[in-house]
Amino acid sequence: MIDMYLLYFLMIFAAVSAVGVVTFRNIFHGAICLGAMLLGIAGIYLIMGAEFVFAVQVLVYVGGILTLILFAIMLTSKIADRSILQANEQKTVSFLISAITLFVLIYAIVKTPFTTVQGPFIVVDTARIGKSLFLNNILPFEVISILLLAALVGAIVLARKDIKK
Amino acid sequence: MFELTATVLLCPLAAFVLITFFTGKSEKISSLVSMVAMAVSLLSSLLIFALILSAPGDYELKIPWINILKDLPIEMGVLLNPVSSVMLMVVCTVSLFVQIYSVGYMHNDEGYSKYYSFISLFSFSMLGLVIANNLLQLYIFWELVGLCSYLLIGHWYHKPDAANAAKKAFVVTRFGDFGLLIAVIFLACKTGTFNFLEIERVIGSGILSPAAVTAVALLIFCGAAGKSAQFPLHIWLPDAMEGPTPISALIHAATMVAAGVYLVIRTYFIFDLSGTALSVIAIIGCSTAFMAGSIAIVQDDIKKVLAYSTISQLGYMMLALGVHGYTAGYFHLITHATFKALLFLGAGSVIHSLHTNNIWEMGRLFKNMKVTAVTFLIGGLALSGVYPTSGFFSKDAILIQTLESGHYVLFAVAFLTAGFTAFYMARVFFVVFLSKEKFSGKHPHESPAVMYVPLILLATLAVGLGFFSEGFSRLIFFGKINEPEHAVLIPLLSNLSAIGAIVLAWAIYQKELISAAALEQRFAFVHKFLKNKYYIDEMYVFCVKNILFVVSNAAGWFDRHIVDGAVNGAFYLTSSAAGALRKLQTGMVQNYAVGIFGGVILLWFFMNMMK
Amino acid sequence: MIAIQELLIFNSVIFAIGIYGALTRRNTIGILMSIELIFNSACLNFIVFGKYLYPSLLSGDIFVLFIITVAAAEVAVALALLLCIYRNSKNIFIEKISLMRG
Repeated sequence: MIDMYLLYFLMIFAAVSAVGVVTFRNIFHGAICLGAMLLGIAGIYLIMGAEFVFAVQVLVYVGGILTLILFAIMLTSKIADRSILQANEQKTVSFLISAITLFVLIYAIVKTPFTTVQGPFIVVDTARIGKSLFLNNILPFEVISILLLAALVGAIVLARKDIKK
Repeated sequence: MFELTATVLLCPLAAFVLITFFTGKSEKISSLVSMVAMAVSLLSSLLIFALILSAPGDYELKIPWINILKDLPIEMGVLLNPVSSVMLMVVCTVSLFVQIYSVGYMHNDEGYSKYYSFISLFSFSMLGLVIANNLLQLYIFWELVGLCSYLLIGHWYHKPDAANAAKKAFVVTRFGDFGLLIAVIFLACKTGTFNFLEIERVIGSGILSPAAVTAVALLIFCGAAGKSAQFPLHIWLPDAMEGPTPISALIHAATMVAAGVYLVIRTYFIFDLSGTALSVIAIIGCSTAFMAGSIAIVQDDIKKVLAYSTISQLGYMMLALGVHGYTAGYFHLITHATFKALLFLGAGSVIHSLHTNNIWEMGRLFKNMKVTAVTFLIGGLALSGVYPTSGFFSKDAILIQTLESGHYVLFAVAFLTAGFTAFYMARVFFVVFLSKEKFSGKHPHESPAVMYVPLILLATLAVGLGFFSEGFSRLIFFGKINEPEHAVLIPLLSNLSAIGAIVLAWAIYQKELISAAALEQRFAFVHKFLKNKYYIDEMYVFCVKNILFVVSNAAGWFDRHIVDGAVNGAFYLTSSAAGALRKLQTGMVQNYAVGIFGGVILLWFFMNMMK
Repeated sequence: MIAIQELLIFNSVIFAIGIYGALTRRNTIGILMSIELIFNSACLNFIVFGKYLYPSLLSGDIFVLFIITVAAAEVAVALALLLCIYRNSKNIFIEKISLMRG
């Protein structure tokens, strides 16, 4: 039962944080909200028994990506000004579109009959994930490593200052 | 035989290409190339004629050309028979003589090479027209000779008169060509072929109603009337005299203007089926002959006299064709080609010497230009139809034919016209060569040999051709051989009237027994009427001003406001729509993203509606 | 245990908020963060489907791991690009970068 309440709490927490991400004028506050939302989602993962994914979410997202974003915000300091309007003129249209999208999705979800498995969430232990990654999914794993490497090289090349100048 | 035909046809074309692209700078080489090509063509055509003579008949070569239309194969081809082979010879002969003559006449002219290249092109087109075995090919060459005529009339294009005359010739003949084009298309649609022999076979089987045959015949005659300067499309020919005189001899006397007559001869199987069309031809031919003959009497310009005389003689040919005088008409075409070319070249010789066209500024040239005078006299006698020149045989054949076919009124008019012919030729001859000197300070001299040798040769032909008339009528006939009647009365009468007219002219213009001025005063109205060429040009101007301009102004308004309006409107619509739409391309990625998501939503709605 | 629909609807909400943010944020980094929201909602969707429909399989977890990895790579490149743009134009407002204007 506690799990359930906790889940609801986390869901509301994450949703509110998400709204914060897109509405805060100060992009820095938005980034903090993003961190909160990511943690909320991580909590949901944990409750649903995806422990390894929880760990990765916290480590990579909160520890890596969010830090990176904060770095970027600080490097381009001017944009952190409060005074600058952060939303553009197509606010209403965008709101309409996202509302209709939401409606469409909810409509689809409600209309679809799911045959779900009852019972508590099964906790996936890390060993199974490790086996699965390195046995069944070894090819995607290696491909993703190459992608990461490429992204690493690409990011360095793009972000460094031009030496010739 | 077809190899020879290719030679005949391609030599002038090669000369044209050579002169235009290579030898244009060197005048001597240009004229030499042109003349050599023409001489080869003449030899080949003589050989062809000899071959045809040994075995008369139709020889046809067909080369498929365009086979896009399943029911209407388009071909190029050659049709050799007595008719076309004789015409080949005539064209080559006159063309060669004119080219030789032009060496002298066009001496020191700026456009010397251009002149020879166009003459070569003209010869090629004319020969192609003659040997065409189908209507489409004939039509193509028909337009080509028209183009050459335009180019050569406008040889001295810097003179406004010449440029205008060229334009006039082109536009007026176009009226007729339009009719011919319709006839060609109509025939092709109805018979499924352009080929003369096949059309003849198909039409002979009676596929067309008599009314359709008459219509086709009249439309073809329309084209023929335009080219052969028949009333009311004759007005371009006198103006065409603005071109160089040898051109008048070649194109506007001997060959191109005869193309109309030749066309009627080639398609005579159509005309033969329609009595109405034949009557129309006969009447138009006869009235043209009379009208032009009468106008020629009062002309002061030596070339204009000859031009009206040409129109008149073409009228004779048409008259002959209209009264079933197939052989007579064609024979007159050939004899006329020789002696009219001769007369024009003679006139050119005089003009070359005196630099004027006005006969009243000449006089007593006989003592200075004996060869020219004698050959001109021979030409004049031939034109007047005096025995034993060729004109006598051909013209009397026409008169006899007209009488025999029972057209008494036409005969009377034609007979009168023959008198006119003799009179105006005599008038020109006396005034130019025999009467008192009317030029001063000029020293006329005989033309150089290159000019008078062709005159002598043509004069020989003009006299000699008449004696081939019997052989000719055995070679060229429509249906059955038309044995020449050895009528005595009509030749005698016509000769007498011709001589009478000559004597009259002698009395008026040489001895001045009767005052020309007094005659003019007495018949002031007639004189004025003739001087103004029956007011036909004025009639055209009136029509153009009152009908054409009104219609074209209306059409112009329609074009400017409705058609252009539609076009401009389309432009305005496009540009304003584009101007509005380009605002969609804001360059802002988020606008595009809105489009993407909005599109997804719309898609979802559509799919739901489809359900 | 709560119903699958509730979790899915929560995901949809996050997704819609993400779309709204991506469409409205003027700041490029803001757009990037909104895209992270969308990624997270998708990830959670995988987990939810995996847990509720095929609890014995690991595909949901594995997929999420891959998505997180790709997202990390994407963010690294995107931020590098952004720094590049900022260095060149001293600006990262997306409407100022409108070279595609017609």
